[in-house]
Amino acid sequence: MKEFVLYTGCTTPVRLPAYEASVKIVLAKFGITLVDMKDANCCGAQYVESVSHTAFAAMTGRLLAIAEKMDMDILAICGACSGSMKTMKHELDNNKKLLKEVNEVLAEEGLKYTGKVEVKHLLQIFQEDIGYAAIREAIVRPYRGIRLSAHYGCHVTRPEEIVQVDDAENPKIIDKIIEIAGGTAVDYVGKTRCCGGPMLGIDAELAGKIGRDKIENIRNENVEGIITACAFCDLQLTQVQIGDDASDQDKIPVMTLPQFLGPALGVNFSSLGIELNRINPQAILQG
Amino acid sequence: MSKLDKTNEHEEHTPSSSFSREIEKEPGGADIQHCIQCGMCTASCMVASVTEKYRPRKLIQKILLGMREEVLTSELPWLCMTCRQCEERCQEDVSLAEIFHAVRNIAAREGYIPVGVQKVVDTVMEDGWMLKDGYSDFIEDDRDDLGLHTDLGWNNEFVKKIKKRFIDGGNKK
Ligand code: SF4
Ligand code: SF4
Repeated sequence: MKEFVLYTGCTTPVRLPAYEASVKIVLAKFGITLVDMKDANCCGAQYVESVSHTAFAAMTGRLLAIAEKMDMDILAICGACSGSMKTMKHELDNNKKLLKEVNEVLAEEGLKYTGKVEVKHLLQIFQEDIGYAAIREAIVRPYRGIRLSAHYGCHVTRPEEIVQVDDAENPKIIDKIIEIAGGTAVDYVGKTRCCGGPMLGIDAELAGKIGRDKIENIRNENVEGIITACAFCDLQLTQVQIGDDASDQDKIPVMTLPQFLGPALGVNFSSLGIELNRINPQAILQG
Repeated sequence: MSKLDKTNEHEEHTPSSSFSREIEKEPGGADIQHCIQCGMCTASCMVASVTEKYRPRKLIQKILLGMREEVLTSELPWLCMTCRQCEERCQEDVSLAEIFHAVRNIAAREGYIPVGVQKVVDTVMEDGWMLKDGYSDFIEDDRDDLGLHTDLGWNNEFVKKIKKRFIDGGNKK
């Protein structure tokens, strides 16, 4: 039985609790236990990161140190958090001066990061810790060929040499799991492009344009849904379809990967929080 | 998966300026001098494709040419989504996301921070996380229904200490 400490980040628990619940219930099906990280702080991604690299290092470093104290590796389910923890781990593991500075602050509350902790994104748990064979074996109610497109999330897969999650130019993990669950994975133009989420705090109009461009590329493939692996992306790809500037075309349901996989494993809809999805995913669930 | 580490053998190119040397010394700024101005970054960039004002190659060029004031006071370095699409393709292993982070760090120390960014930073450095105000009773009920704990228990002591030590006064590296 494997154990990880779950770092939810700021966004998931408030804006996408169904994702958090689905992660827990689906991983439990495969014998993976998650312990919530208590007394955590924001990882500092993007905003604090933009104004002070050292403050960012301390905030992310503290999360690594908490996990080290718990003697567990970290599971991140949001691209921003997994990206910042992985890149900052890489930096702290290679920059003694910064590590010392961070540890000096952490020492005041009895914490220390020495490099022992690994940070994994959810996709790695599926691919490395569970494995495709075990997922295949666990499918009890396969989908019947429903056409779906995957969106991976920039910070989930890049920079490839540091995060080591998938092939950054041609990511495949979500696609593989769609197929294993009985769906049909469909490629589209600009698959590895950003959803526009990180632009929201700077220029919401541009963020919307970028997100809608992705939706239109996906729409061109006539798929029934979009499968995500990052809370931020999931929310953004949903919001651009229902916000003021949304097109009046049919909305394409967006689901996180564990929420999509759950029903195929025999998990009931309500524990996956399906009714909380803002674009009704019945088209996916019946396919 | 490809190479584990960057090739690290790229040459420096001219021009360079005191500003690009300054960026070089910031965390994340080390590779700026390797840029050969090929334009692959602009061609890969979604922001560039939706707005004419943003051209990452051009912004790097301005740094290389030493246009310090213009770059630091501009909103352009803040428009990078740090999506890193460009750097997977840059043949010189230049990370624009990191270079623009370095630029933003300097701009922030000198007081140029877009309002939207400042607001989020203030919230995080006060509450310890981003969405305290967004956590309504309705969402608490949803969490309860899903069998999730409702006391999110974020720590806000640490960020206050960090703010004092590394952000306030704006001038600590
Ligand atoms: S792709 Fe790389 S080398 Fe080419 S202009 Fe952009 S940063 Fe410079
Ligand atoms: S990292 Fe920045 S410059 Fe590069 S493609 Fe993404 S938004 Fe454009």
